Amino acid sequence: MKYMLLIYDNAQTRETFLGEQGEGLMAEIDAIMNELTESGELVGGEALADPSNTKTIRLVDGAPAITDGPYAEAKEHLGGYLIVDCESVERAADIARRWPSARFTPLEVRPLMDTSGAEM
Amino acid sequence: MRSDADHVDLLRRLAPQVLGVLVRRFEQFDACEDAVQEALLAAAVQWPQEGLPDSPQAWLITVAARRMTDQLRSEHARRRREDTAAAQVPADDGFAPAPGDEQRPDHDDTLTLLILCCHPALSPASQLALTLRAVGGLTTAEIASAFLVPEATMAQRISRAKQSLKATDIPFAMPPEPERSERLRVVLHVLYLIFNEGYIASSGPDLQRSELTREAIRLTRAVHALLPDDGEVAGLLALMLLSDARRPARTGADGTLIALAEQDRALWNRAYIEEGTGLITGALARATLGPYQLQAAIAAVHDEAPRAQDTDWPQILALYKLLERVAPNPMVTLNHAVAVAMVDGPRAGLDLLATLDADDRMAAHHRLDAVRAHLLEMAGDHAAARSMYLTAARRTTSLPEQRYLEARAARLTGGNDP
Repeated sequence: MKYMLLIYDNAQTRETFLGEQGEGLMAEIDAIMNELTESGELVGGEALADPSNTKTIRLVDGAPAITDGPYAEAKEHLGGYLIVDCESVERAADIARRWPSARFTPLEVRPLMDTSGAEM
Repeated sequence: MRSDADHVDLLRRLAPQVLGVLVRRFEQFDACEDAVQEALLAAAVQWPQEGLPDSPQAWLITVAARRMTDQLRSEHARRRREDTAAAQVPADDGFAPAPGDEQRPDHDDTLTLLILCCHPALSPASQLALTLRAVGGLTTAEIASAFLVPEATMAQRISRAKQSLKATDIPFAMPPEPERSERLRVVLHVLYLIFNEGYIASSGPDLQRSELTREAIRLTRAVHALLPDDGEVAGLLALMLLSDARRPARTGADGTLIALAEQDRALWNRAYIEEGTGLITGALARATLGPYQLQAAIAAVHDEAPRAQDTDWPQILALYKLLERVAPNPMVTLNHAVAVAMVDGPRAGLDLLATLDADDRMAAHHRLDAVRAHLLEMAGDHAAARSMYLTAARRTTSLPEQRYLEARAARLTGGNDP
């Protein structure tokens, strides 16, 4: 079963990761990424640029209205994601629990929709 | 003139035979498996261009053995450089392909390899991947695309599985009884999982995935040929054939799921139904009863009905009662409840479903909601059925199931419904 781990950051995340515990936190991330690569569970993942780089696009009366910045101001924003292929949701949740940013900001674990289905 | 498809079939059939010869000669399963995979890839490129060799099996063994010899030589050379007390370098002819490398016709390593690849030390995902590569002869790219993961991910899964096997240091031989029977159960379960992975795939981007069904049937056929008296092997093969027989009818042109009761039975694969029915009838008459045989028997009763309303539900109900006794699990109870509803009415079925509400494995499962919705619809409680279909639609992680459940809910949206 494939799960997406949505990793939320806040305004302090960069600072935390650049601070004195930063090196340790990055090493933890590397260790988890290595573990997921070696176990054959890692399907993909990306980090997102800072929310200030966001363009928000709406159609207003059929015409695109483009504004700089995120759609909604929020204390937390999506900082990146991982896609893992795991035996169980418990395993996926365990990876999220150990992800270092979980100590500061939450992660969400969401199953991916499958294009296959069983007859009912 | 042979087509590429013929070559693929031949290569997949020969893969475990070639691997068996190599492992017996060189022992190192992980390296031998790589060498065989390279030989298969070489054959897939060369044979269509240069024609089939006189003995394809000997060709593959020679090429794979040469890879192993090269690799062992370079390892020896490396060790000699590293270690001043150099190990004795074996003479060249120790590794040269020997005449008579052809397998004796009465000898087949498929089962030994299957039991090895389905070793309990491996995770189910690894067992599936390794079985498809080492016994099925599929390439890593083919397996990756069937499971919709990047090739690097699948390569890592396979290589890790082989490392785990190496660590357990098990000999390449059939385990003695009673371990053998236990391990065979694991093999059958892995083949069942491979089948299911392909069976639930519908169309379009999933075509590659549905090839897993064909592969599972092919491998189970091979096991059945080696163990013709094992009732559960026959039962599993029958179950696969009787289920796959319905494949042409179970999805519409646009990939939507069609319920068993509404399928166009003229599209069912008659040859598969006949073969499956013959297998299960024979097994039930001779062998010890088991869960695969019972599931196959249930599938056979469905397949034998010319129309949905001709289905012999009392017989299906009797079979589910047996199955609950032999292999109780909540999924069986779920299907049992449908049979109860068909024989004793929807309320009786709903009562049986209620027993699953306390089961943590099922309480929030979309299948429980979906079956409950069906039975509520049967009972005429359309408002409750509709809301239950929508709950199931929200809970499923399958797009076609979601579409199916939403369509069922939409059907129940009457004019006077809010």
